[in-house]
Amino acid sequence: MSKLGTIANSLRILRHVFRRIFKRPFTYFYPWEDRYYPELTRGRHIHVRENCTACSQCVRACPVVAIRIDKEDKKYEKDAALYFDYSRCLFCGLCVQACNFDALFHTPIVDLSADSQEKLIYGPDRITKIEREPLEWRGRKIR
Amino acid sequence: MQFEDFINWLNGIPGWLYDVLVWWFNAIWWWINLLWDSIVIIWASMFGNAEVLAYWFKAIVFPGLVFILLGIIFTVWATRKTWGRIQGRRGPYNLGKYGGLQLFADAIKLIGKESIIPKGAKRWMYRFLPSFLLVIVLLPFVFIPWDTDWVIVDLSVSLVLIFAFLTAIPVISLLAGWISGSKYTIIGGFRAANNQFASEIPLVLSTVGPAMLAGSLSVLSIAQVQADSFWFIFLLPLNFVTFLISAVMSVGMVPFDAPVADSEILFGWRTEFSGIWFVMTYFAEFAEMLFYSAMMVTLFFGGFSGPAFLPGIVIFLIKLMIVMFFFIIVTSSFYRLRQDQIVSFSWKYLLPLTILNILIVMFGMAYFGLYIGG
Amino acid sequence: MKPDISDEAVELWFGPQHVAAHGWATKLTLVGDYIVECDPNAGYFHRSAEKCLEFRNFRQGALIMERLCMPEAFLAEYPYVQAVEKIAEIEVPEKAKFMRTIMMEVSRIHSIQFWWGQLAGELGLFTMVLWPWIDREYTLDAFEELTGSRHAVTYSTPGGVKYDFTDEFLRRLDLAIYHLENHLGKFKDMILKSPTFKARAQNVGLFSTKEALKLGLSGPNIRACDYPMDLRKDAHDPNLKYDQVDWEVPVLVSEEHGSGMCDAYDRMIQRFNEVDVALQIIRGLLPQVPEGPIIDPKVRAKTNRLPAGEAYGRVEGARGISTLWLKTTDKAQTPYRAKIRGPCFNSYYALKHLMPGLRFADFVLVFGSLDPYVGWWDR
Repeated sequence: MSKLGTIANSLRILRHVFRRIFKRPFTYFYPWEDRYYPELTRGRHIHVRENCTACSQCVRACPVVAIRIDKEDKKYEKDAALYFDYSRCLFCGLCVQACNFDALFHTPIVDLSADSQEKLIYGPDRITKIEREPLEWRGRKIR
Repeated sequence: MQFEDFINWLNGIPGWLYDVLVWWFNAIWWWINLLWDSIVIIWASMFGNAEVLAYWFKAIVFPGLVFILLGIIFTVWATRKTWGRIQGRRGPYNLGKYGGLQLFADAIKLIGKESIIPKGAKRWMYRFLPSFLLVIVLLPFVFIPWDTDWVIVDLSVSLVLIFAFLTAIPVISLLAGWISGSKYTIIGGFRAANNQFASEIPLVLSTVGPAMLAGSLSVLSIAQVQADSFWFIFLLPLNFVTFLISAVMSVGMVPFDAPVADSEILFGWRTEFSGIWFVMTYFAEFAEMLFYSAMMVTLFFGGFSGPAFLPGIVIFLIKLMIVMFFFIIVTSSFYRLRQDQIVSFSWKYLLPLTILNILIVMFGMAYFGLYIGG
Repeated sequence: MKPDISDEAVELWFGPQHVAAHGWATKLTLVGDYIVECDPNAGYFHRSAEKCLEFRNFRQGALIMERLCMPEAFLAEYPYVQAVEKIAEIEVPEKAKFMRTIMMEVSRIHSIQFWWGQLAGELGLFTMVLWPWIDREYTLDAFEELTGSRHAVTYSTPGGVKYDFTDEFLRRLDLAIYHLENHLGKFKDMILKSPTFKARAQNVGLFSTKEALKLGLSGPNIRACDYPMDLRKDAHDPNLKYDQVDWEVPVLVSEEHGSGMCDAYDRMIQRFNEVDVALQIIRGLLPQVPEGPIIDPKVRAKTNRLPAGEAYGRVEGARGISTLWLKTTDKAQTPYRAKIRGPCFNSYYALKHLMPGLRFADFVLVFGSLDPYVGWWDR
């Protein structure tokens, strides 16, 4: 009888649901545990000013014009200062691919939220280093 | 000879352990009784009337308002955690150990929100109905026998009165859907009324079986009768299943939650309620769930009957948590049915099964003399 | 409408602000619980993708295409890349062809996993939303290992692909496939044998092959009617390697309605078949991937400026046939005009003919079973 089949199917569904309760959940306790980010993860950029030659290929490659270059601001002989606007950045990786001088890389830092747009524009002081401000939440250190 | 005495001594250990537990339980209970009696004496010397204190205590603190509200908060927390585990995640875990304070935080946040009343809504009914709904949902809790003497009101027809209260709830839902002034809420309200049309009759008829077996319509005596003999779940398993399904249908939870289907009608008759009124309608749903679980424990699992070293209330709560667990599993396994399918399922399959239950009970009582109540 | 029902008819906007409306506004006319008329209105999600393509050069254009439909990112960016390669007349290395084909099939699987969750959410069972999405996490981990981004993969470029298969990626792909296959039995129990899903989805959204062809449906929606329209076999693309594996087009002969008709339940079964075929293709192609370069830099340099021409790129997406027509002027860095066609356009407008006569609650189910994604229509 199809009715018995229906009851058997319902019991099978209930069994699947019941068994799931006792398995380990899939989620983890972000931000105190974090998952593994692969090498190629396209997170925030880092600009290595020793190698930069101010060729501005990264600016030309960006599809949303998220990079601004200031060629007057030199720290080493031929470099330039880059301003990354993360409110426009797509994390597409075309700028990193365009750089021929190993001056621009992605980092696995992906938690970039800020509370105003000015804080999302990373100037040369922030885009050249990975260290970030320490963050504490409810008495526990996150970084 | 020595070995035999040793075996006899070993056989006596479980009995000895049991006696120790009973002794401890009696000792603690003696202290609590001492405390209670001293409060009663003080009250009686001040106000001259001791029964009123017991009544007020029962009505407000212990199986009364505070206990029920804490019970509803526990129900919501347990439901969210269990739903989380079923779905492969954890429920709330940030606030409080294991997320226990999350409900309080949600309630405080929602109460602090701006209460928006839509322009097309009837203002005073809009403000009145959610509180009215919560009050009506909390009222049947006075009849539930948490323990032999921890029941607030014990009438001889309490089963009938419980369903009199519960029948009003979908009517309030229909009214809430209508006064919210939106087409989606009207559809939700009508679906809630339709749900009542589908679910009330199997729900009420499912309780006729235990009532007939126990020989009384009072919920307390149904529970007490099971304390002296078998739990009704062993005699009437089919009845339990139909009561569970019609209870899920009556509350309006998945798979029968077409009145509050959030992908079709945007939360149905509850859509427009925001802020504190949302808290009330949300808690009303879980209060109904808690209530039906308590009814299932009373009617089928024997209520407070169990091992003697635990107080009846603790046994009731353990059984309640188990029944709620099954309730939660059923509500997260099946897809949502369409409204007309709910009605056709209920009238074509659930109602004949319920009538079959009653026939089985009548048959058992008439031909096998299976009469349990006194 | 007849004058006697227009008094009782209620106009309801299943509007743009709705949890399950995917960004489309449909004006439904209801009499009681039945839908009498269904008037689809689209345009609330228009992002002028075709115009944006005119301002992006030929390596950036694929980014816009993949953001039209993120669940099938690899499939969505392929028409653009194919069109550019046709105009520029450049050759793609063999390894890149294999890799593109494999990743397109993985993307199809990802899209179907996403869709299982979406449809279950519309039907109210949050358990079956998260269970496929847990397996989808493993697929996204594989994407991240390969390209660095989980959703917005920028994988194909004109001339080849950008990222190579690594051992870690192959290990993660195996893990993703293992999780998917392990749970297929459980999902079939939970969905196809669920009495409530059968009650909801059978005899709902029924159409025949003729109606489907008239409405312009493609992809799994029409293959469920036992009509083997599949671009992977019909229009053999020399740049993709579907002919290197022995596979059959997944069609379905419906149990209830026979060949030539399908309802929402059959479309669900059809997508399980699609997953099986996709797994077959992936397993057949993975051992055949040759060694070699993935892109030739000189060839890539030819895509800076393209000669004048027109080309038509198309792909069998997870939802149907997606196409792009590209026109360039001589030595231009950006296209002159791009015209995108998405399969969900036809699915959405098919509702105008499918919905009358069904109940209000069936709207989300029929709509969901045709696998809508607003990016393809509103572009």
